[in-house]
Amino acid sequence: MTQQDRPSDRSERELQALSAYIDGELTGDERDATTERIATDAASEATVAAYRAQDNALRALFAADEAEPQIVVMRPRARERYLLAACFLVVGVACGFLLHMLLPALGEPRPRFAERADIAYAVYAPEQRHAVEVAASQHDHLVSWLSKRLNRTLTIPSLAEYGFDLVGGRLLPGEEGPAAQFMYQNAAGERLTLYMTTVSRNDARVRTLRDGPRTTYYWASDRVGYALSGQIGQAKLQAIAYDTCKELGGDPKNW
Amino acid sequence: MTFESDLLAHLPQLRRYARALTGDRAWADDLVQDATERALNRASAFRSGTNLRAWLFTIMRNIYIDQLRGRRDIAVDDEIAPWRHMAAPRGEVDGLVLRDVQRALYCLPVEQREVMLLVCVEEMSYQEASQVLNVPTGTVMSRLSRAREHMRVLLGEDEGRRASSLKMVSRS
Repeated sequence: MTQQDRPSDRSERELQALSAYIDGELTGDERDATTERIATDAASEATVAAYRAQDNALRALFAADEAEPQIVVMRPRARERYLLAACFLVVGVACGFLLHMLLPALGEPRPRFAERADIAYAVYAPEQRHAVEVAASQHDHLVSWLSKRLNRTLTIPSLAEYGFDLVGGRLLPGEEGPAAQFMYQNAAGERLTLYMTTVSRNDARVRTLRDGPRTTYYWASDRVGYALSGQIGQAKLQAIAYDTCKELGGDPKNW
Repeated sequence: MTFESDLLAHLPQLRRYARALTGDRAWADDLVQDATERALNRASAFRSGTNLRAWLFTIMRNIYIDQLRGRRDIAVDDEIAPWRHMAAPRGEVDGLVLRDVQRALYCLPVEQREVMLLVCVEEMSYQEASQVLNVPTGTVMSRLSRAREHMRVLLGEDEGRRASSLKMVSRS
């Protein structure tokens, strides 16, 4: 409300007193003084009358409608809604995590050890003079040395029935620690490698990795990852891998 | 159960105030719903023995002020203002045409309208109104006085009274 809206001849304080007077909010001297003023001052009396008329008109405008029912709906409180949402979030995350644990194969990239085995084959299989570090002639030393480095008792399967004899083995760096590579060779000079390394997760299913002419069959059991790589016919390699897996304690049902 | 039944007893009044404040029945019903719901949810925050009516009105007023801010963003111009669609009241009271009083009421700033409705319609004491509005009683007094003067100006009485003070004298 601007200044010019106010009557210039009356102080705001006087108007407040008149206003408070009709609301019964004045006491003592102030009340008596205002009563006196209204009785003697026509303008004050008119103001009081105008205010009272306003009050009456407003009350008439908004007579309470008692008969109408009021329906109040109790909805869940905002905080409860948030809590509920948070619960669902936690349950959802837990479900996702469990699913992740139970179905590790879904969309999972192949283990790195299979790739490392494939590369190791590509590097060492063509090697003529230094194909292995320890030759098969030192069989016992080879087994005890690599068993010690991989911290488990290794078994070197015989592939003699397929015409492949052990050449020897070497130590290689693996993804999660040392790895062992055993090399086999047949009369035609074809070579196979059996790669072993410790892995954190068992995945007993046998799978295949192909890279150019090379094929690797790989699986894991008892926290050891195995990979058999070669460039011989796939059917033959698969048969050898099957037997090797069985011999090393794998479950043939996973084939 | 006493709290709930006490609260229910205040509902018609709460609704009357909501309708008067907003000038919009739907908005008012929503306000009463929100305020009652909040009050029931916060029943434990109410200290028994204190003024339940003022407590309820305070809750509703806070919701109203929040919603008003939201609605102002949508720019309520005069033509689509809610009270434009209120039923036009008929008749006169003490020489005032009710339709004019209604229009004047919604021309008041909301601070003046709410204090006027609390004291004049809901017949609250200044002390109770100060609790609802969360201002000192002195502010209630000065704000109400300004509201009444403002309304008198809006009703065109002021000039009339000053121009014809003789008439007033002759009436007295």
